[in-house]
Amino acid sequence: MTAYIIRRLLLLPLVLFGITLIVFGLFQMLGPDKLLSAYINPNLAEKLSPEEMERFKDKYGLNDPLIVRYGKWISSVLRGDLGWSLVGKEPVASAMAKRIPFTVELALYALVPVVGVGIWLGVAAAVRHNSPVDHFIRIFAIVGWSFPDFVFGLFVLMIFYSVLGWFPPGNMSLWAEEIFKSSAFKHITGLPSIDALLNGQFGVFLDCLRHLVGPILTISWLWWAYLLRITRSSMLEVLRKDYVRTARAKGLDERTVINKHARRNAMIPVTTVAGAMIIGLLSGTVIVEAVFNRTGIGSFVATAATQLDYASVMGGVLFYSTILVLGNLIIDILYAIIDPRIRLT
Amino acid sequence: MRKVWVIVALMALAVFGFAVKGDPTTLVDLTISEPDTMDPHYAYDTASGEVIYNVYENLIAYNGESVTDFVPRLATKWEVLDGGKTYKFYIRKGVKFHLGGDLTPEDVEYSFERGLIFDPAGGPMWMLWEALFGIDSLEGFVEEKFGVSYSDMIDENGEAKPEYKDKLVSVYTDYIDPAIEVEGDAVVFHLVRPFAPFMAILAQGSSWSAVLDKEWAVEIGCWDGKADTWWKYHDIQKEKSPLYAVANGTGPYKLVEWDRTQQKVTLEANENYWREPAKIKKVVIWGVDEWATRRALFEKGDGDVCYVPAQFLSQIEGKEGIEIIKGLPTISVTALHFNWSIKPDSKYIGSGKLDGEGIPPDFFSDEHVRKAFSYAFNYDAMILQVLRGLGKRVPYALPEGLIGYNPDLPMYEFNLLKAREEFKKAFNGELWKKGFKMTLLYNTGNSARQTAAEMLKFYIEQLNPKFKIEVRGVQWPTYLDTYRKGYLPAFIIGWLADYPDPHNFIFTYYHSNGVYGHSQGENYEKFVTTPLEELGGKTLNQVIEEAVAETDPAKRQEMYESVAKVVYSRALGMALYQPLGLRVHRSWLKGWYHNPMRPGDDYYAYSIEF
Repeated sequence: MTAYIIRRLLLLPLVLFGITLIVFGLFQMLGPDKLLSAYINPNLAEKLSPEEMERFKDKYGLNDPLIVRYGKWISSVLRGDLGWSLVGKEPVASAMAKRIPFTVELALYALVPVVGVGIWLGVAAAVRHNSPVDHFIRIFAIVGWSFPDFVFGLFVLMIFYSVLGWFPPGNMSLWAEEIFKSSAFKHITGLPSIDALLNGQFGVFLDCLRHLVGPILTISWLWWAYLLRITRSSMLEVLRKDYVRTARAKGLDERTVINKHARRNAMIPVTTVAGAMIIGLLSGTVIVEAVFNRTGIGSFVATAATQLDYASVMGGVLFYSTILVLGNLIIDILYAIIDPRIRLT
Repeated sequence: MRKVWVIVALMALAVFGFAVKGDPTTLVDLTISEPDTMDPHYAYDTASGEVIYNVYENLIAYNGESVTDFVPRLATKWEVLDGGKTYKFYIRKGVKFHLGGDLTPEDVEYSFERGLIFDPAGGPMWMLWEALFGIDSLEGFVEEKFGVSYSDMIDENGEAKPEYKDKLVSVYTDYIDPAIEVEGDAVVFHLVRPFAPFMAILAQGSSWSAVLDKEWAVEIGCWDGKADTWWKYHDIQKEKSPLYAVANGTGPYKLVEWDRTQQKVTLEANENYWREPAKIKKVVIWGVDEWATRRALFEKGDGDVCYVPAQFLSQIEGKEGIEIIKGLPTISVTALHFNWSIKPDSKYIGSGKLDGEGIPPDFFSDEHVRKAFSYAFNYDAMILQVLRGLGKRVPYALPEGLIGYNPDLPMYEFNLLKAREEFKKAFNGELWKKGFKMTLLYNTGNSARQTAAEMLKFYIEQLNPKFKIEVRGVQWPTYLDTYRKGYLPAFIIGWLADYPDPHNFIFTYYHSNGVYGHSQGENYEKFVTTPLEELGGKTLNQVIEEAVAETDPAKRQEMYESVAKVVYSRALGMALYQPLGLRVHRSWLKGWYHNPMRPGDDYYAYSIEF
């Protein structure tokens, strides 16, 4: 298995090289005039004379051929410099480093409700196959699945913030931010809520949580449907298997049958989906971030793409590809743990 | 199991129960845009300008709502000498910068010289170049003086080539340095010729005329003040400027933080301000791009000021505690202009001939065609429906409030009968017989441009079945690029004042060297450089140039009106509208006033009274 992991990790640089070359190439197909638009504010651009436009293009090397530009980019990346982010208005690496904690934090807290509850609902529905509980869960799930995420996000915001005033948008409140940014506050893990606890700032911790409930609620309901449907069908299939009948026949109580015998075997397809979800959460959820005004990596890369900020997009691409390769590797390892018959060679 | 639920319930209670009430010394301004830079000599957008306005100060400021009256700021008084060629400003004493430095006349001199030297591409410094030297950039100035392009004088390391070094040094010692001089307690500006808009270019709100602390600026790595190093500080990239993310002014607010991750700028009152310290102690300018989210924050009272796009206004109208002010004059216009010499290889003119399958490149050189277009546009419907009433008609590309404006000047009305008549006269009747085909572009997302183009299509195609106009949306860089390079038959374009002077508009739109005038083709240039009888034998370009050097407002008014009459009689362009602004804040915010030249808010004037 170690050899397998090493082999997969060795593939990572190759994957990164291929993906960045493709994305970079696509960007360059836009041509220097369009790329220039990233560097100037649209209102201002109308005021520029053609000579000034040329000066701009030369200044940012936009007239160079693709190979030269990619070469420049990759050599600076190898030196650890991801370039300047026009959207982040600071170097790409530090712009991303400031946003990733918020995405990771959301993913971390969303993990339990999304995956845990999703699987639990799926199992509950399967066990009570065709009962009112099953129907209710399925309808609930389909409603969630059919909602456009921004509409549901806005509903959550409206009910829990505008009406009830419980869960405001943003990363944290102004007063909490002041403590968070003060020099006395030690940034240990980088995750704001965890650091707040470690600094003994319980109020800041609760404030961070308060700002996380809305996004988590939105993500959860939208994604439960998917997860629970996979779990349910996979569970139903397993429950019909001979060994489950045998387990029941030998007199095991229902709980043991389901939890020990059936559920574990139903988990293989679920792992695939849940793994993909976690990868998705870590890549940032653009819409949820936008609606709740959270500064995660998803909305960052999305804005960068619309504004043709190629350095930031390339940074995002590197991040996503790494997460994807590592995430899939972890999923593969999990398969082997869940089902000892699977061998990674 | 039960224990777990108790803990969850307790935690939930703690989470929900936590809410902090509003505070009358903190103001949250919910907006959409984020500053571009904190460098006053690079900033050219309102979001950056707003922060700089509150942190830095200029020699003079506008008097409240006026854009023509000035009051002292860092200058205590001033004199205009030499028939408008010399300006002398006496510098205030006892003013301290936020980091403790004292304001001296040398700081003022340094600030302007540093800006002139920096002169970043696409930046605002062209205004001071034009005002002081009559040419709009440092590189243009160097090329004119020595006949060699600036980039040829500099090697790849950014150093002056040995053969040009003396020349470059002399640019500073012979021109820039003598133009701005310290005389005792005063700073003197020498202009190459009288320039009417100069005061407006200096007034607060113009970040390019903000005053820096020289010692501090040099210390953090700005130009060191020496004549033989300046090229290393010219046109550096935005983020490489030492002033990119820090600020040290004399203004009522200190820049605490520019949080680029959260699009948040935090300002704190300067308690050592030379006037009374500000009443609002903390200001947070927060970019919340999503309207629904911004609206929720604002309605909940977590924001005091909110940017509301006109199309969403109805969603908050009539809500208690929210004050809405409509119809604020802006100093900007939007106009449609014609390309008199379209590039023959343009994709937007069909066959490129007068054969019913296209238009000839000189289509709009025919006065009748321009008049027909001018009559075939429903100006009022545009304002009412697209701008939701937030706009007004203007006779030519000059907004109300500036010298030269006169509502009684003639304007084209929407009249399809007259449009038909003009089309019949165009190209000696050939056009009416053969018809034409052309494309109008708009940039996707710009509904005003789109509607204007569709409106022209709708009405003109009604006149004659042989008239065909295709309307197409493109990305804005494409739009900009095609009109610039002369491929577009006609273009709709707005202008927001850099300084409140008619020159800024009239030159831009009608002079053949203006940014937009330039894009109207060679035939247009020929027209404006040909003496006209109605201008007393002068050319249009000449009148525009003379008007800016004229210091008597009454004479200037007359000169600009004569331009307006030519614009009307020769249908030089269609002034579509002057946009009107919209302001929304909580009613507990007191002290707000409108000044169309101010970028954003003047937080110093505010107080919050619950």
